[in-house]
Amino acid sequence: MLQQTIALIIIALILARLYWQKQKNYIGINEFLFWLIFWILAAVLIVSLKFLDRFVAGLGFSGSGIEVLLYLSVAVLFYFVFRLRLKLEKIEKDITKIVQNIALKDK
Amino acid sequence: MKIFCVIPAFNEEKNIMAVASQVKSSVDTVVVVDDGSSDRTAESAIRAGAILVRHIINRGQGAALRTGAQYCLNHGADIIVHFDADGQFLTSDIERIAAPIKAGLAQVVFGSRFLNREHSLEMPIFKRCFIMPLAKAINKIFFNVNLTDPQSGFRAMSREAARKIDWKQDRMAHCSEIMFEVKRHNLKVKEIPIRVIYHNFGQSFFGGFKILKELFIAMLVN
Repeated sequence: MLQQTIALIIIALILARLYWQKQKNYIGINEFLFWLIFWILAAVLIVSLKFLDRFVAGLGFSGSGIEVLLYLSVAVLFYFVFRLRLKLEKIEKDITKIVQNIALKDK
Repeated sequence: MKIFCVIPAFNEEKNIMAVASQVKSSVDTVVVVDDGSSDRTAESAIRAGAILVRHIINRGQGAALRTGAQYCLNHGADIIVHFDADGQFLTSDIERIAAPIKAGLAQVVFGSRFLNREHSLEMPIFKRCFIMPLAKAINKIFFNVNLTDPQSGFRAMSREAARKIDWKQDRMAHCSEIMFEVKRHNLKVKEIPIRVIYHNFGQSFFGGFKILKELFIAMLVN
């Protein structure tokens, strides 16, 4: 219970900071909505841990709900790193195009 | 037929003057692509009488060759030769590598270090007996490319072939990609034996893995 309360307080602080960042126009509306939904979902999952335990047990997982959440978040992180790698590759290609255009300009 | 030679160079001030001067006698135009060198590569290339094309930052050998090839096409090259700046290739091989294209026998000619057994024995043994056979097998199994030298950097191509071959790899994986492109466009290929003077080991085992990783990512990005 105490752990859940601490986690919810942390999420509340993060949401407050998110709101402040939006107010100051440091982030766009899409980014704001993404993180808002993300942290609200995290809060909902933390509140419903007992239900989550029963749910993942029903699905046949041997771990508790929070463990399954951890596994899922690692998988999601891997996916984001992969997406980032692809995006980086595209940026690298664009940089090369610019460098080549400069090199061949007036040649 | 106008023969242009593209030499990508990154921090090669020690070699580029001698290499470019020697190459100049075998071709119509030498194009040195200074790939963001921090030394006096560019000045040395100009002093050697080469045309200098300069990348403001380092983008890799594949990118430098692409820039050079584009320059050659813009200036009416009939044959484009790719040559290394470190002096490991022999300028006497340039005429031989361009000859099949001149004669209309091929559109792309690769220099091979394995066609002459005596020359191939000069390659470091680990590279000759392990890295190269592995690279050759990968080319054959995954890309259906069956050339004797899987990582040849000494090649010549006709104008028509250069227009078709569109390699995207900026760094070392361009060697393999050019071979795939040649296969994809069904270009007439020939290999000729070349001799390489080894100043260093060149592509390492882990370098080979890096090439595979780059090719894999490129497949996903494209």
